[in-house]
Amino acid sequence: MLFLSLKMSLARKGRLFLTSLAIILGTAFLSGTFIFSDTLNRTFDQLFTGVYKDVDAYVRSSNFVEVQFGGEQRARIPITELDTVRDVPGVVDAVGAISAYARIINKDGSPLGTDNGPPNFGAIVSESFSGLWSVDTGRLPVGPSEMMMDKWSAKKGKFAVGDTVRVNAQSGSREFALVGIATFGNVSSPGGATFALFDQPTASEFLLAPGYVDAFLVKSDGSLTDVELAAKIDAALPPSAKLETLTGAEITKEEQDLIGEALGFLSTFLTAFSLIALGIGCFVIYNVFSITAAQRLRENALLRAIGASRRQITRALLVESLVIGLLGSILGFFAGIGLSRGLSALLGAVGFEIPASGLSIELRTVMITIIVGVAVTVLSAILPARRAGKVPPLAALRDTAIETTGSNKTRFTIGLVVLALGAAALIAAGTGANIAFLGFGVLFVFAGVLIVGPGVARPIALWIGRPIEKLRGVTGAMARQNAARNPKRTARTAAPVLIGVALVTAFTAFASSVKAEIRDTIGSQFRGDYVVSAPNNGFGGLTPTLVDELGSMPQVGQATALGYATIKINGKGEFVQVIDPQTSAGLFEIEMVQNTQQSLTPSGILVSESRAKSRGWTIGSKIELTMVDGTTKELELQGTFKPSGFFSPYFIDRQVFVGSNNSYFDSVIYLKLKDGVSAAEAHDPLAAATTDKGLGELQSRDEFIDSQSGQVNQILGLIYGLLALSVIIAIVGIVITLLLSVFERKREIGLLRAIGMTRSQVRSTVRWESVITSMIGAVVGVVLGILMGVILMAVLADTGVSAFRLSIGSTFVILVLSFIIGVLAAVYPARRATKIEIIQAIATM
Amino acid sequence: MTSIIDAAVAVNAIKTYGEGDSEVRALDGVSIQFIKGKFSAIMGPSGSGKSTLMHCLAGLDSLTAGSVSIAGTDLAPLNDKALTSLRRDQIGFVFQAFNLIPTLNAYENIVLPLSLGGKMGDEAWINQVIETIGLGDRLKHRPSELSGGQQQRVAIARALASKPEIIFADEPTGNLDSKTGSEVLNFMRQAVTNLGQTIVMVTHDAVAASYADIIVFLKDGKIAGEMTEPTPERVLDYLKHLGE
Repeated sequence: MLFLSLKMSLARKGRLFLTSLAIILGTAFLSGTFIFSDTLNRTFDQLFTGVYKDVDAYVRSSNFVEVQFGGEQRARIPITELDTVRDVPGVVDAVGAISAYARIINKDGSPLGTDNGPPNFGAIVSESFSGLWSVDTGRLPVGPSEMMMDKWSAKKGKFAVGDTVRVNAQSGSREFALVGIATFGNVSSPGGATFALFDQPTASEFLLAPGYVDAFLVKSDGSLTDVELAAKIDAALPPSAKLETLTGAEITKEEQDLIGEALGFLSTFLTAFSLIALGIGCFVIYNVFSITAAQRLRENALLRAIGASRRQITRALLVESLVIGLLGSILGFFAGIGLSRGLSALLGAVGFEIPASGLSIELRTVMITIIVGVAVTVLSAILPARRAGKVPPLAALRDTAIETTGSNKTRFTIGLVVLALGAAALIAAGTGANIAFLGFGVLFVFAGVLIVGPGVARPIALWIGRPIEKLRGVTGAMARQNAARNPKRTARTAAPVLIGVALVTAFTAFASSVKAEIRDTIGSQFRGDYVVSAPNNGFGGLTPTLVDELGSMPQVGQATALGYATIKINGKGEFVQVIDPQTSAGLFEIEMVQNTQQSLTPSGILVSESRAKSRGWTIGSKIELTMVDGTTKELELQGTFKPSGFFSPYFIDRQVFVGSNNSYFDSVIYLKLKDGVSAAEAHDPLAAATTDKGLGELQSRDEFIDSQSGQVNQILGLIYGLLALSVIIAIVGIVITLLLSVFERKREIGLLRAIGMTRSQVRSTVRWESVITSMIGAVVGVVLGILMGVILMAVLADTGVSAFRLSIGSTFVILVLSFIIGVLAAVYPARRATKIEIIQAIATM
Repeated sequence: MTSIIDAAVAVNAIKTYGEGDSEVRALDGVSIQFIKGKFSAIMGPSGSGKSTLMHCLAGLDSLTAGSVSIAGTDLAPLNDKALTSLRRDQIGFVFQAFNLIPTLNAYENIVLPLSLGGKMGDEAWINQVIETIGLGDRLKHRPSELSGGQQQRVAIARALASKPEIIFADEPTGNLDSKTGSEVLNFMRQAVTNLGQTIVMVTHDAVAASYADIIVFLKDGKIAGEMTEPTPERVLDYLKHLGE
């Protein structure tokens, strides 16, 4: 029985291959995601282990602010306590360490390294405690005008010992003499990050503040365990210094966990897409096994007639699915290795550079891939297998119609109920319920559409096919009827296209709306002529002195800076926006609800209306601010503003941060030119002070708005890339179904050829059937996608549904691409259809 | 000698399958002319080559040697496209079963070869054909809604609709009971006698063959004999002869 079944499946090698393809692709994506994440994790784990290899104890400030999803910022510490640490018995040596922002500038004035990739550091390198840094050429820097850099940066920027290098950091832009090039362990740079290395006094003064570092690194003489040493150091330090001591192992683990968390989000994101691909694969497998069972009707009936039980027939098909699932998963796992590279390339292509070296293949990846792959295949095959077992033995002797009739009422009703539930969940999510409702809503809506599908597939197919019939005469009419004749199969074939199109449309619609809102928001707030923006996203930014420099230029009438800071508001870590109410009037205006932007003083705070309401704050309420270095301040709520998805709910006066003992960078500077000064006149002098020095990027207002909304395209590109595989699986599904339909209709095609249908007419019929099927999925998918896009906007953006903007152009492109997919999917099946031998096909018994 | 009144002609038709020791000669030098306006039948036991002869005459299969022509057109030099056009415009087909496209209704099936060629056809002629086969009230029905006999009549109407040079019928009554079968055969007879068509029917049924004007007998790929003005008894008798 088993042998027979396997033999039957091997007889159709082409079909076997195509069926496996769906599983191979899905599992490849899944395993690729795991391999990619594991490799990243391992790369960073190894990185940190290397960084802290010689560090036996680590002393740092106990003041810090942690923001959810934003990491933590820790206060700087004065170098004065270093001697105390050095004097602790068991300590061989201790040095200060800094990891602050520093951007090396290329010889042509552009910043070295990437904006969205590995960070750009400024750090200390010293004789006694160089850690993993070793001198490759030259020597260590001594004094305020000397520096070293990592080998990778030197190669990238074509720097050699003896060159003068410009470096930008918090305190400004400065030139140094390059006296040495260093390697990190046996790599040119850890993780591709750039390092500008100085001696301690220079580093403190240039990167943080004179006399301050981020931490002390301590080397033990081995007489105590690290834990004991850390405790001793801790005891020796005065409590007033607010310092804490960790062992080298502890700090390593902490950093590994922090990165692990961030990578976890990425991995979850990617895994979600691989599950979508597998979900679509389910449809394809289900479809294939249904059709296979239908075609083996006679053989199965014969087996039943000669004594096989229902169970045996069912089991045979299930075993076949098991074998396909197993083989497909194994092949998919190996393909996943290649795919993990592809993921790395995809991320790099859209601008997110992540260093991943080597390959980390864990046992759990292999196991999960195979288990999931087999499970998906077998589960998808269960229903068709059971149906196959139910074939009556009589069917072996008589010709029973293979085509199934339309839907049944119960199924349709269930589908509508599920759909309604899903819609309700989505509406709930849109009006403020838990975000879990969004997930459930989407799932239920998809499920509902798919259950209802066969019931509506026929009328939709006939409707979509009407123009094709008009255009293509009898071949179009036949294609239209063929698409409609088996609604269940048509629905199942169109379903993957539907899911793919719905997702692409939803994300595109969401992105369009976000882009439109960015344009509107920036457009309404920013009234100036030029913008200077920070080259880095997140870490570092514009030096705070730049805005004053620019403001004093003869062409500039008004300059104001906008920044971000991490602080605690009433004990909870938050990102806040920093503005200068004095210089921002008329140049950068937020939409206020109560009071004006100029009501803000250094002892106050502006809060978004919705946040104030939810916390019960009113004008005059006292709010406690705690900065990274531990200083607290009481702020008075001085005004409320209209909330927006792009801002934090808090604005604080710049004077609170600049000059405090905390790192601070501006992120944008807005400029208005003096009356009578034209943009063309001002451009070059402004560029000389900014872009040409790598201090920031100068853009006109329009250029800035374009680039901001352009960032959305980056993420959209990534999502398109991730959905591409699902689309490929959908195409495979169409190809398989068409091939099987052609096979089933062999006799009919033979008849048509006999009475005079040309080969190209046969191809045309197959092609248009494919197009109709694909367009069914596309049209319904677009409608669904737009609805989902609206809900997504309502859920994620504070401004809600009113900001939804549909891009007609993108929607049109999606429909056209679906059309093309239909045409492409038909190429191979159409060729097979024309190869049908007429006489064989029409032979009766 | 071939003349234009011959609807179909085969000259020394040879069709072989396989090679060497396993070679099968389905047609072993058949020369025959089917005259226009006549109802002809081809009979013979299984393996006699009767279906093969029809397939080759109709352009559905190619000869190994010899020639076939339809209304004076030699089929040998024609490529697939040309053969397809020939079948569409100049030949009509009626098969034993599965004659109709299930997704088209009766009328659409009848005009199918014309639609494939993008032609409108002769409306008066088509109406006459429909009237003759008597299915006027069933034109919008799908094949699944028609009986076996009705389906065969639609197939015949289709074969007639494009006013072909010749109609080939392969065991047209094979799946029908005797009453329905004789109805169908009567229509075919009428098509020849009253509408001036040419039909060549392959059959193993003596009763069916007796409706024809002339019967050609095949055995082992060769012509074994002819009979004009056949009756079922004479045919059965002759077949018995042939079997020896």
